[in-house]
Amino acid sequence: MSGVIFLSHIHIPDGILPTVIWVTSYLITLVIIFVLCKKMDGEDVRRKVPIAGVMAAIMLIAMSIPLGFIPLHFSLAVLCGILIGPGLGFIVVFVISMMLAFFGHGGITVVGLNTLIIGSEVLIGAYMFRVLLKHQRIVPRVVLATVIALLVSVSLMVAVVGTTIGVAEALPANQSNHDHQDEVGDDKYYYHEDQEVINYTLDEAVDGQKYINFTGWSAVLTILLLGIFLETFVTTLVVKYFVKVRPDLLQTKTNT
Amino acid sequence: MHISEMDHIANNGHSFFHRAGVLAKMFFTLIMLTAIIIANTINTLALLIIILMGMFLVTRVPLLKVGHLAVYPAFFSVLFAIIKFQESLTSGLIVVLKALGAALTMIFLISTTSYVEIFAVLSLVLPRLLVDIFFFTYRAIFILLDKAQNLFTSIKLRGGYRPFSMIMNIKNLPKLIGTLLIHSFEMGERMHKIYSLRGYNGHIYVQFKWWPLNSSDIIIFTISIGILIGTVIRWNPW
Repeated sequence: MSGVIFLSHIHIPDGILPTVIWVTSYLITLVIIFVLCKKMDGEDVRRKVPIAGVMAAIMLIAMSIPLGFIPLHFSLAVLCGILIGPGLGFIVVFVISMMLAFFGHGGITVVGLNTLIIGSEVLIGAYMFRVLLKHQRIVPRVVLATVIALLVSVSLMVAVVGTTIGVAEALPANQSNHDHQDEVGDDKYYYHEDQEVINYTLDEAVDGQKYINFTGWSAVLTILLLGIFLETFVTTLVVKYFVKVRPDLLQTKTNT
Repeated sequence: MHISEMDHIANNGHSFFHRAGVLAKMFFTLIMLTAIIIANTINTLALLIIILMGMFLVTRVPLLKVGHLAVYPAFFSVLFAIIKFQESLTSGLIVVLKALGAALTMIFLISTTSYVEIFAVLSLVLPRLLVDIFFFTYRAIFILLDKAQNLFTSIKLRGGYRPFSMIMNIKNLPKLIGTLLIHSFEMGERMHKIYSLRGYNGHIYVQFKWWPLNSSDIIIFTISIGILIGTVIRWNPW
């Protein structure tokens, strides 16, 4: 599922997730947004609001850039956090998730969850770039910040999806090679008289994964590493471009 | 379908739904989404989708033009449905119908309601800062889409993009994004100056008319309440 779009964006349709999950995630997201909006005030933030809007538009456009045979899209979430700061970056992620939901890219009920997961990418990436790694050179700063942020957000996505509807659902969309067998008594399957209930194991889901010549866990890891590499590569080159052309836009003390 | 075409359909329709107030439309959307999420039988979901299709017909929104947007969530729902099909055919179909119904509901809303009106309603409950970002994003998308297209064309004309040169394309893509970003930031700064000259002080004031209700509003509220009652109460036609 996540392999067909950018790495950690959840594309679960409406009606799949338990209500308590998506309602809670919405509440947490809105509380965070209200707190951020309350903290951020003043002329400096008002000056950044149009920039946050264009950053959101850029991220939406970047998501529509196809990469050919690679089943991924860019998210530019870490770049967003680096350029406009973690607070505004988190709000921008909510805006993007909501607008994508209007077009059916992910259910409207999953907006809160998507904001929390991709927002974590923004927050971790921005914090690592601005604080933890501020004494490093630009390329290692960006690479480490992006890789760690992506790993955390993908892990969060897998954890959320796995605990709610099964880890198999978090795997990239290529499940065409199922081989279902009614094996009564087999430890993989459990057969009732009234209702056939089959435990679809993670191993089965992974076995169905195929990417180029890789299968199984190799395919999963290939797609994951390819996604992280591409996102990190593009983010690093863009930040390097900014350092050459407009280094003032990377000044962290004015970022919110 | 280009986002501007969607916007054109929403702003230039003449049906009763287009003429109705935004509160009635949002109420209908909320009720329809709720009905789809809580429905657990194929008959109910199919009926709700038929009602939606009927609304598309009555409001003359070209379903063939906008319907492809529902293919995306339907595709993702099939992935979940494959697992559910192991339980029963019904469970799998319910998953697909719910995704399709929810997607069609949202598409119906944005093809009959201007984004500005939707943001105006959101401004009642969301912080001003957030709503302002919605407005600026909406404005910037149209400008930047054109800019991105022109930049991409100039890269291709200069030989910077070739379909089978993955490495060269990936090297040039960040430069395209970087140029677009720099242009966007400068555009954002200009926007702030222009809006400040026009009195922007951190809040874009929006108004929407919600009272008195017109006949279209009453029709939509009636349909919505009917859908809610029909979904909540267990009907047994036999």
